[in-house]
Amino acid sequence: MIIPYLTALTTYFSYGLLFAFGQLRDFFRKSVDWWSASTLQGYAPICLGLEDFYIRRLYLRIQDCFNRPISSPPDAWFDVVERVSNDNNKTLKRTTKVNRCLNLGSYNYLGFAAADEYCTPRVIECLKKYTPSTCSTRVDGGTTILHTEMEECVANFVGKPAAIVFGMGYVTNSAILPVLIGKGGLIISDSLNHNSIVNGARGSGATVRVFQHNTPSHLESVLREQIADGQPRTHRPWKKIIVVVEGIYSMEGELCKLPEIVSICKKYKAFVYLDEAHSIGAVGKSGRGVCELLGVDTADVDIMMGTFTKSFGSSGGYIAGSKELIQYLKYTCPAHLYATSISAPAAQQIISSIKVVLGEDGSSRGAQKLARIRENSNFFRSELQKMGFEVLGDNDSPVMPIMLYNPAKIPAFSRECLKRNVAVVTVAFPATPLLLARARICISASHSREDLLKALEVISTVGDMVGVKYFPAEPNKQQVEVGQVKKVD
Amino acid sequence: MANLYVRAAPTTDLNRNTEWFTYPGVWSTYILILFFSWLMVLSIFACSPGMAWTVVHLSHFFVTYQFFHWKKGTPFAEDQGIYNRLTWWEQIDSGKQLTRNRKFLTVVPIVLYLIASHTTDYQHPMLFFNTLAVFVLVVAKFPHMHKVRIFGINADQ
Repeated sequence: MIIPYLTALTTYFSYGLLFAFGQLRDFFRKSVDWWSASTLQGYAPICLGLEDFYIRRLYLRIQDCFNRPISSPPDAWFDVVERVSNDNNKTLKRTTKVNRCLNLGSYNYLGFAAADEYCTPRVIECLKKYTPSTCSTRVDGGTTILHTEMEECVANFVGKPAAIVFGMGYVTNSAILPVLIGKGGLIISDSLNHNSIVNGARGSGATVRVFQHNTPSHLESVLREQIADGQPRTHRPWKKIIVVVEGIYSMEGELCKLPEIVSICKKYKAFVYLDEAHSIGAVGKSGRGVCELLGVDTADVDIMMGTFTKSFGSSGGYIAGSKELIQYLKYTCPAHLYATSISAPAAQQIISSIKVVLGEDGSSRGAQKLARIRENSNFFRSELQKMGFEVLGDNDSPVMPIMLYNPAKIPAFSRECLKRNVAVVTVAFPATPLLLARARICISASHSREDLLKALEVISTVGDMVGVKYFPAEPNKQQVEVGQVKKVD
Repeated sequence: MANLYVRAAPTTDLNRNTEWFTYPGVWSTYILILFFSWLMVLSIFACSPGMAWTVVHLSHFFVTYQFFHWKKGTPFAEDQGIYNRLTWWEQIDSGKQLTRNRKFLTVVPIVLYLIASHTTDYQHPMLFFNTLAVFVLVVAKFPHMHKVRIFGINADQ
């Protein structure tokens, strides 16, 4: 990431100022509260020390930029409910007014978020036949024929012998990692991995080490150091080593350097766990994810995990691997044994959307969607870069964060875009590092060329107003040519 | 100045409270803040430059002692309180001692002390307070004082 030096200095200064003001207000609040009597004598405080400082003094000031309620399916255009605040953003109240806005924030990569002509009638029929909930765990009475069909479908799509599906994507990571590895094992995870992986790794009891984001050389040095050292105090060899990486990192839009990482793991005999939450269905020629895009054989990746919330318009997560692995997970994973199974209409949506993507529904809509999302992402990214924005992410990736840096630009960008009926998602601390605040744009296959042009126009105007065009803009060659032609005439 | 770009290398520090200190531009911002606060003190109080440096040095002592060596934990709850017993100084660089950042932060109060004493011509009572401040700050930053709580001051319940 390339940061202009002056921006770095002003960002540190802004955060320092916000911190100082927050401390000053806390000091006065404490003095005022000392005089008023408390009704709860002898109870411990809910928040220890400074724990809620960030929420009270920084997040609540710009609360209206986050958690905006919507009142329609998250298609390319959707309805955003307006909220008002009477006490300077401490509390927000919904009004009955809605704005029709262009959706640049939903993970709707293939456009399955709204009603689809193939999927929705089948889902409604399934809802009437199987009812919304199975009301049971997979082992008790919650496995219908839809569930078995869905697991086969997913395994075929991903390219592995077998798969197991859970009702929630977050739970897939945090309940599987403790089952796969325990005390005496080593988990090496990328420094920017999602919170679900961090949670699962902490809950497993294994030793966790972190390697520099997407740097295979650092991964190799961490592996060598850890294998040479062994377990923490006994120095015995590790029981198992798992390296956890993601396909597309949701906050960076970057693809993982999978071929190098897989070859390093093969050399040192570590297992590879690939989390394809954002890349399955969105990249690759037939939508099979980052393995297809980068040319990695799926037999080399030991455990492939993904979610259905992003490209398939459903809910839930899956793990795909060898038949022995999936059989083992079926008897030990608590999410399979004790959690309610994924609801039947959601399973039907998964099956239908995979059929559309593979073209098995008899039309070429799947291939069209995949081509459209690739074209849209590449067009949008190159146009933004030409305008002078600092856009992260690799080509072909549908996630593009625009760097904002200064804390004041976060609410400015968000509110100005909303005024012009474009809804963007701005991400600040703690999802990103403190200084690297960004506006994250997710392109969908249901965005048409006009939608993208409108979005570009709005973002360009707002970018000029807010001052986020950190790089020099490329001069528009076409305009110069037209001018010359006019002069000749 | 506006065209100068720096490259931010990704860090491996998982503690969001301290990883901002590893990005470029922090040291310059720190020094610039000290310099501008000296100018502000000079313009508000209209005192001699030496007194202004003494004021800056002592307020720097109070602020850095409070936030680096007294307050423990992190200002957010996402890390579930694993750093609740550690002050900010003990958290940076994941507890590794004698890194570049730590050496820089130890040198700054010493340089401020030298400037303050020199510009006040080593007169008492300013010299006494300045010396006390720099002594406390530097001892607090020694590697041997990592996680040490003298007489149980600031220890947990």
